[in-house]
Order: sequence, then C-alpha cells, then structure tokens
Amino acid sequence: MRRLMQRHETYVFLAVVALTIVVTALNPNFLTMENFLDILKSCSFLGIMAIGVLVVLISGGVDISFTAVATVGQYVMAVVITRYTGNIALAFTIAIAIGLVLGLINAALIYFFNIPTIIVSIGTLNVFYGLLIVFSGGKWIYTLPDWFHKFAETRVFTLFNSNGIPYGLSIVTLIWIFVIVLAALILRYTVLGRSLYAVGGCGFDKGPAERAGINIFRVQVFVYTFMGFTAGVAGVVQALLVQTVAPNSIVGKELNVIAAVVLGGASLAGGAGTIVGTLLGVFLLAILSNGLTLMRVPSYWYDVVIGMVILTSVSASALQQRREQQRAIAVEEA
Amino acid sequence: MKKGIVVWAALALLMLTPALLFAKAEAEDDVYEIATVVKITGIPWFNRMEVGVNRAAEELGVNSYQIGPADADPAQQVRMVEDLISKGVDAICVTPNDATALEPVFNRAREQGIIIITHESPDQRGKDYDIELIDNENFGRHHWDMLAEQMGGSGQYAIFVGSLTVPLHNLWADVGLEYAATQYPDMELVTTRIPCGEDQELSKQRTLELLQAYPDLKGIVGFGSLGPPGAAQALREKGLIDEVAVVGTVLPAHAAQYLKDGSMDHGILWDPGDAGYAMTWVALQLLEGKEIVNGMNVPGLGTVVLDGDVIKVDAMIDITGANADDFGF
Repeated sequence: MRRLMQRHETYVFLAVVALTIVVTALNPNFLTMENFLDILKSCSFLGIMAIGVLVVLISGGVDISFTAVATVGQYVMAVVITRYTGNIALAFTIAIAIGLVLGLINAALIYFFNIPTIIVSIGTLNVFYGLLIVFSGGKWIYTLPDWFHKFAETRVFTLFNSNGIPYGLSIVTLIWIFVIVLAALILRYTVLGRSLYAVGGCGFDKGPAERAGINIFRVQVFVYTFMGFTAGVAGVVQALLVQTVAPNSIVGKELNVIAAVVLGGASLAGGAGTIVGTLLGVFLLAILSNGLTLMRVPSYWYDVVIGMVILTSVSASALQQRREQQRAIAVEEA
Repeated sequence: MKKGIVVWAALALLMLTPALLFAKAEAEDDVYEIATVVKITGIPWFNRMEVGVNRAAEELGVNSYQIGPADADPAQQVRMVEDLISKGVDAICVTPNDATALEPVFNRAREQGIIIITHESPDQRGKDYDIELIDNENFGRHHWDMLAEQMGGSGQYAIFVGSLTVPLHNLWADVGLEYAATQYPDMELVTTRIPCGEDQELSKQRTLELLQAYPDLKGIVGFGSLGPPGAAQALREKGLIDEVAVVGTVLPAHAAQYLKDGSMDHGILWDPGDAGYAMTWVALQLLEGKEIVNGMNVPGLGTVVLDGDVIKVDAMIDITGANADDFGF
C-alpha cells in the first residue's frame, strides 16, 4: 500500500476517479458505455502522439516537431490517395514512411551536432511545416475517398443506444491500442528499451551511458524514428476522425500532448515515465475537457480549471516525493 | 566528421530553398504598385483573397499582389508594411492582425504619400479608407433569422466562436443575442459561447458533449469556418441530422457535402476574393485622384454606402446545398 502511494500514477488515477464521480453526480449521462467509447475514440489521436512523446522524454529529449511531422505525413498521404488510387494500408505506409524519414533527420541533427533536442525540434518544426505550406499553398483537402470514410466508421464491436443509433469500439481506438502494446513491448522487453532509461537518466552528458556500452546514436535513431512513426500514424488517424485535411489543424497541439505525458509522471529531465502514467494523463485531460461541458461549466472557465487540475495533480505528487526523501534522510541520520 | 559536413551541406541547401523559390523578376515601373498584406498566408480564406487581388491586377491594369506572414503575428505584419514603405509602393491594403500595432507604421506610410486601405478593421486609425463587404449588425442578425427559421422559432441552442478573443465573431454573437432577446423570446441559449470554431475535431467533440448535456438541443450557430462542419459530423454520427439545426459561417466548397445531406442547414459568408478585389479597386480610385462618394458602384459588387471613412458594400452570400458548388471557393 505504501509503495503504491509513492507512485505518481496513483495520484493521477485517484484524480481520474474523483473527477468521474463528480461529473457523474452532476450528469449521469457521463458514465455510459457510449460516452466512454466516444471519449476513447476522440482522444486516440493525441494518445498515439503521447506514446511517442513519452519515449522521447524518457531518453532525456524534448521534441515539439512531431505535430509538423504528423501534418506532412497526413498531407502527402491525402494528396496521393485523392489524386491517384489507394487503400488504407497504402495510406498508413506513406504517412509512416514520411514520419520515419523526418524522425531520422531529427536524430541525425541531434547526434552529430549535439544541440539540445528542443532547439533542434523548434527548428525542424518550422522547416517541415514551412516547406509543406510552400509546396501545398495551404490548400485544404475536403473530399477524401469513400473507402477512407468507410474505414473510419469501422467498429470492432457494435452496440445500439436507446435511439437505435449504432456506436462501439472504433477501429481508431484499436490502432491506438496497437501502438501502446508495441511501445510497451519495446520498453519492457528489449535491451534498446531498457537502455533508454539509462541514457535519459544521465542528463545532457551521455558519457556514463556510453561507457556502459550503450550506442547513443542507435538509441537516438530509435527514439526519433519511433516518434516519427507515431506522428505518421496519428496524422492518418486525425484525417480519419475529421475527414478534412487542413495543413494548419495539427500544428499547435504540441503542448497539449506534452502536458498529458508530463501529467502522467514522465520527467522533462529524462529517465522517468511509464505507459500507464501517460495513458492516465491523456484520460485525465480528456475526461476533464468532456466533463466540463457535461457539468455545464461556462466555457470561459475551461482553461482555468484545466490548469488548476494539472497543478494540483503534479504538486500532490511532488509533495509526496519530498516527504519520502526527508524520511530517507531521517533514517540515514538516525 | 565527414558525416557532419554532409549534414551541414544538407542544412545549407534547405535554408537556400525559400530564397530560390521567392526570387522573381522585378516589376515594371510605369503602373501603380498596390500591395495587399493579409493576416496569415496559406489558409483557404486568404488564398481566396489572393484570387481577387490577382483578378484586380488583370482587370484594372495595376501591379497588385498579395503577401502575408506565415503566422498571424502582428509584429511580422508591421515589418512587412515597413518593407513595402522602403520599397516605395503606391498603396498598401491590409487585413490587420492588430489594429493598434499598425497605427504608427500607417502614419509613416501616409506621410510619404502611400495610400492605406484596410479590411475587417472599421475603427482602424491611420487609414485612408476601410472597406467592409457585410454590415456586421445585419450579418449577426441574419444568422439568428436563419437559425430561427430552421428551429421553428423556439428551442434550445448553443453558439460556437473561433475563440473568445476574435473581435468579429464575438461582435456577431453579441448583436445576435440582443436581437434574439426581442425577436425570438422562445429561443433559449443553453451555455456561454464555446471557443472551438477554428478546429473541426474539437467542434465535433463539443457537439457530442452538448448533445449529452442538453438532450433537448435544437440548434447550433457557429462562427469560424470549421465549427459548423464539426457539428454536422457529430450529428451524422448520432443520427440527429433532422433533430438539430446547424447554421453558420463556412467555406462553400468545404460545407457542400454537409449542406447536401442536411447535417448542416444554412451557410452565410462573404467572398474574400471580392474583398481582395475591392481593396485594390478603392486604392486605384484614390491614386487616380477620384473621390469616394455614396452610391458609387464597385464593379461586380454593388453600390457603396459611405460612413465616414468606412466604405460598406452589402455582399453577404447565402450558401445552401443547391448553390454551394457554384462559388468556386
């Protein structure tokens, strides 16, 4: 029990439970299967990118260029499938391939020049997004193929609400689950995944990790191509959800994603973070946003409430950690 | 280390690309040079405006063109106007990001005899004229008339705006609410205006939430071109196309599919291409020494109503499933 109380995830989980109780008490419509599945569907897009961001944060980096990567992957994918023919496998292949290449560029810049990752990604965010605007002229793509639209409506299982309207577990959520499982396997069971924590734990000077026999370049390449992979997948998922491709609709959401991951216990200093925590962070923000409307809170208060919840959750956890440290010091002195 | 050189070379090439792309021949000197500066480049709204600016270049025989920053950044816009002053253009037409930030540089331009025309900024200081293609009061009220018609004059509804700080969206909402209070007393606003209209995904999500929070919801009026399509998507998903009316500002080509299947009911807008053309046209009249007077005719747009230094032309358009494909934007 005490070990459980030391974990940051426990606090986020308690916040999710508390919030669910409050919202449900005010509006019983909240705790329905339909609303739950709707939330899962709509937060898949941010959730997929959050997994990529988690991997970057664990390795001690910060990447904000992923929204531009997702946008470029999405746009090129949309141009190809509307202009020529295609299928859903091709759509994902194109977006993921672009994600991997752009991720590789990030990794190369970070490794060869040894520049702080956030600076590199601010630069590449602008270059990737800027070039897309230059070549696309900012043109929106409104009409995506029918098969693309149909795929978006695919459900793993289907239920019906009281009005006879179908709902269910969306294919989009299934894609998110796939990304989660993939990341979990890599982080837990591969040497590469374990070495991520070691690299992230030693801060800006990677010397100790290198002396321990870790190939830093390989780790960086993995981290940023995996980020690129999740961005590519997220780009297609966003197009599936919205059915319109606008070059400016994803860029600008970087901080929402990073906030969710940090809220879930990942450290901006590197070396810490779990998938469970990240998912809880994503859920907390999604439930909060959904719940505010259901609780009939005036929209002017949204940002204030969201900020307060982030602060409360993060400081409760920090307070607990400090108490643990003090206890440890007291034991040593005694 | 060799790899380092390759990466540097690649970087240098990347940086050169924009310079190569933007390098173009200098324009001739014997025609008027009229530059249009927009809030942000690369979005459909201002792409459409550029079509109008280019049409003006052809039809009016002037050297008119459009530029704008990559983000809606007031400081960058000020810098662009400064550059145009140094370049010595004859007139500058601006859709301001920030009216106050532009005032000093507008004054400097006019000291040098450069004409300043603005759009969507009637209270702008330092301008020669501002031109509006809609009457904002009328525009706001028209939304409520259309919403009332679709809702049968009574029931619960919600408002979407782009953000709580977009001046025009909130002005239209203010005007409409005031109008509804006397004209449509049976229509009930369920919650404060929701800031999601520039994000289709968020608008869809908010609509789903509203449907749960207010099961009797009968209508949504949306300002910001992505609000109504997002709402329409949510209604499609929940099979409520006939239950809830959606009215608002949209780009015709984008809204066409929603208007056709009835998930959206009515769109209202003006053509930004007309605005681009009209600003250049007004600038040319002033450069040629003509005076702007009441009742003047802007080619293809209609008659001018002059209100101080604000030129009003009523060019509001109604967008329905039947005509959405005909606008060309």
